[in-house]
Amino acid sequence: MLTALYLVLHSIEEMKQMEPTNHEAGDKWEVQLRKGCLELAILAALWEGRLYGLEILRRLESDSDLVVSEGTVYPLLSRLKALELLRSEWVESDSGHPRKYYALTAAGKKRAIEMAGTWAQFSASMSKLIAPLERKEKGNK
Amino acid sequence: MMTAAESNQKVDAYLRRLNALLRGMSKEDAHEIIEELRAHITEKATVNGEVTTTAVDAALAGLGDPDELAAQYATDAVLARAEVSRSPVRILKVLFRWASLSVAGFFVLLGSLIGYSLGLAFILSALLKPFFPARTGLWYFPASGDSTISLHLGVTGSAVNGRELLGWWIVPIGLAVGSGLLMLTTQFALWCVRRYRRSRVVRVR
Repeated sequence: MLTALYLVLHSIEEMKQMEPTNHEAGDKWEVQLRKGCLELAILAALWEGRLYGLEILRRLESDSDLVVSEGTVYPLLSRLKALELLRSEWVESDSGHPRKYYALTAAGKKRAIEMAGTWAQFSASMSKLIAPLERKEKGNK
Repeated sequence: MMTAAESNQKVDAYLRRLNALLRGMSKEDAHEIIEELRAHITEKATVNGEVTTTAVDAALAGLGDPDELAAQYATDAVLARAEVSRSPVRILKVLFRWASLSVAGFFVLLGSLIGYSLGLAFILSALLKPFFPARTGLWYFPASGDSTISLHLGVTGSAVNGRELLGWWIVPIGLAVGSGLLMLTTQFALWCVRRYRRSRVVRVR
């Protein structure tokens, strides 16, 4: 039993090392930060109403600095749907092919509000904490 | 310079490869993903009403390597389904799929199977004790001849040389330990799933 547990932990560690690490240490922090925000950003983008994948990508690009790849957003949408935070429907379009639209479920709306609250609180206290650093930066210029 | 037919073939080849890699998913789920991405590529590659080959290449590059994309889809969807469920049956089903996708999944499945079957053995022993009081219990068999010892849990054929350790205590202890093991194993599996999910890195363009 213990051996099995050890093997599990060991292989998880190993897999972590196999993950792409082509980012510098500073970049990596930024990647983690963006990654943490992406879920909230998608839920927020859908707050006003349903959107399809490409619209969500464009919204993220135009309204935030979250320039993430399609290869990240589509699997995440599929996961949020599996978690029942989003629902989806196929809608015919003028362009000739149907589009898969995503919309928030009741649980998704609740989660978005919760996350937005946490984010507002966190960013306010973080801004307070880093205020001296920003003054210093201005002084140097 | 590629022709329109050639870039169409390129998209088809990409999606076929992705479809083959989504083997951990149900057919309908995989089909939805393929159709969604086909619509995405078509729309992204259409500039002023025309599909250009450079735009097709750009759209495919945005989606990235099919192997990587399939791995993200499969683990993300499969693991998310485990997280909304606490039922051992559903978790085991998910773990079987995860095991087919990665080495870590295989070991988590192995650990969970051991945990669940041990838990079930305890519960079964507790339930069978009233019906086969003489043959059910936790038995200690000092193996004759050599120095090895052997513990048997459950129903034994005969209890000739064995010493029963718990007597009727097997009923409450078996139920408590058994259900405890089932719960612990579920927690363990979910913990592994979350830990693995958190370790995945988002690709930034």
